[in-house]
Amino acid sequence: MADIGRMLPNEKPEHPYVPFSYAGSMFGNFATRFCSGCGYGIIGQLFTKIFEDEKLDPHLYPTIIGIGCYSQLLLIVHTQSQKILALHGRAPALATGIKMANPNMKPIIFSGDGDCLGIGGNHFIHLCRRNLDCVIFIFNNSIYAMTGGQGAPTTLFGAQSTTTPYKMFENRSDGVKLALAAGATYVARTTVAHPRTFMKYFKKALQHKGTSVIEVITPCVTYFGRKNLNSLGVENTEIEGEKMDTGQKMIDWIKQNTIRRNQANLMTEDQLLNKYVIGEFRYQTDKPEYSDEYIKIQKFAMEEK
Amino acid sequence: MKKNNQPKRLKPNEVESVSKVNSKRFLTPGKHLMMGNVAMSEGALSAGLNYFGGYPITPSTEVIEHLAVRMPQVGGVCMQMEDELASINSVIGASLVGAKAMTATSGPGLSLMVETISMAANLEVPFVFCDVQRNGPGTGFVTEPHHNDIGLVRFSGNGEFQVIALAPMSCQELFDLTITAFNYAELYRCPVFILSDAYLGHLHEVVTIPTKEEILNRVIQRELPPSDEYVKKFTYKDDNSDNFIIPKPPQMGTDYCPGLLLHQPHNYEGLPTPKPMQFIEAIMDKINKNKDNICITESYKLEDAEIIIIAYGLPVRASYRAVDIARKEGFKVGIFRLVTVWPFPDKEVKQLVKDAKAIIVPELNYTGYIAEQVERVTKLEIPVIKIPKVCDFHHPDDILKVIKEVDK
Repeated sequence: MADIGRMLPNEKPEHPYVPFSYAGSMFGNFATRFCSGCGYGIIGQLFTKIFEDEKLDPHLYPTIIGIGCYSQLLLIVHTQSQKILALHGRAPALATGIKMANPNMKPIIFSGDGDCLGIGGNHFIHLCRRNLDCVIFIFNNSIYAMTGGQGAPTTLFGAQSTTTPYKMFENRSDGVKLALAAGATYVARTTVAHPRTFMKYFKKALQHKGTSVIEVITPCVTYFGRKNLNSLGVENTEIEGEKMDTGQKMIDWIKQNTIRRNQANLMTEDQLLNKYVIGEFRYQTDKPEYSDEYIKIQKFAMEEK
Repeated sequence: MKKNNQPKRLKPNEVESVSKVNSKRFLTPGKHLMMGNVAMSEGALSAGLNYFGGYPITPSTEVIEHLAVRMPQVGGVCMQMEDELASINSVIGASLVGAKAMTATSGPGLSLMVETISMAANLEVPFVFCDVQRNGPGTGFVTEPHHNDIGLVRFSGNGEFQVIALAPMSCQELFDLTITAFNYAELYRCPVFILSDAYLGHLHEVVTIPTKEEILNRVIQRELPPSDEYVKKFTYKDDNSDNFIIPKPPQMGTDYCPGLLLHQPHNYEGLPTPKPMQFIEAIMDKINKNKDNICITESYKLEDAEIIIIAYGLPVRASYRAVDIARKEGFKVGIFRLVTVWPFPDKEVKQLVKDAKAIIVPELNYTGYIAEQVERVTKLEIPVIKIPKVCDFHHPDDILKVIKEVDK
């Protein structure tokens, strides 16, 4: 994505599914506004690819986008899909209204770690609890990147950020564990360094009837990588230098720092500090879905005299 | 995994629950004894309410309790959300996919919801907001009336926008004005408030329900414009005249919806505009220039009146009694009643007070929000006397005493 920059009128778009650069036409020819090394370009492309390959009806799969760096995704994901920018943290609540007013729709929610586990934590818990038919992505870059690198609920232990200049000492919040406890019926975690699992999980979530939570670990070079590597207490690392100041280093770090679920079962809690466990955590199809249950209530109430 | 194995999804316009007019939606025509909150809920159902998102709060709880029973009967949805923030956001979401949506709350809930009201004003999402006001600040006395949200509803949320607020004074009006509120929301695409209060919400009165045909004649239904008008989706200024044209509200899931619904200053297509001034002008002046069509006022014995009572909501009822007594004693008093509190009818008030000796504004609050507006219009040339009252009714004697003092 780094080479895109300015697009000339006769230049062919690099993206196979987006016929023209929507962002370019709006903001003076710049294709995306993401920093170099950012993971959201990968997510945008994978999302668009699935949307097109699965032939999803854009009218029935609205995209609800929270506030964060990923809000810029709305400029590069599938142009035909209908996208709405929600308020900070309120995307799950907005999606509930959309889904309940028109049960044929399946909202796809983009939210981040600050959006979904910070300010909108309550809405996220209750979305999972109701088991409302929707897909919710949590893009976790373990930092508040859009406002300039403040500590987030998911910031790793020991990490430095602008609001934790010495050391992060709070416990990390875990989106997957929260979703499991709240009762979501499909829960998975993947990273942008594993694009094939991302596609597999997203396809599975689209087929699933119920709340599907997919946490995606994504790198932030500008505000997280440039300040951290040694501070995270990572041992036996093959990454050179003290900081992760390039996209390649961050992707390497993500790959080394993730552990598959079956391996994680054998590890102690200390060993899992600052590690990401990836895989599918729950796939439950027999739990009733909220809008289906409500339609049953409606039918009962309509026939009652 | 097999491809194209998605669950079969109907097109949005095939949804029965959104468009079907159910016979259970309307009560039997005739007289019913009803609580204020229930009358308002029934008014909303008659106006075509499809989605209610709420959170229980005294004194508005009866609204969600009543609608939890009634909404499934008519094929609508009543959601009890996890908090006020979620309930108003779900209302916006439902309104965006074509449902007529409403929420009901009280003062503390309103202060939580203002963030989203501001967003809705930007996106020009129509919805109705019932504010059953209670005493404040803070938690206050939860079952006592206090018209202290008058300022908050007008200046709610960050940013500049205009709202419409209606102040009923009886259960019959709660029923009728709720239908009007839904029509205003459809026409002007701005937040519309119904300013009830703790006493009015819990008042039991006889309400006359009109027939189904009469109600349907009054209601403006949510519909899509003809397909050749799909480009213009948000308010814009007509080039030929100074009027603002307000298109029908867009619906997600149809072609009549912009690809991006951004809450940034946008033009009539919904795309971000480098001219925020034009956008602010559109969302402010669509109300300001339509004041003549929006403002509802009532006059009582104003022909030769020298002392004028300007009131709204419950204090109007005490004022009627006070004026009747005062007229018998020879005082030239009349009432100018504001049915729509916001936008404030500047022109009418200015016309009215030309020859007045004094203006009395009985309000159920200490500040005198409307008295301040009257002072602004009269430029402090005529004495404006406030009768503040908190957590209590005005007794006609309270107003009569002031009339006598003024006429000395």
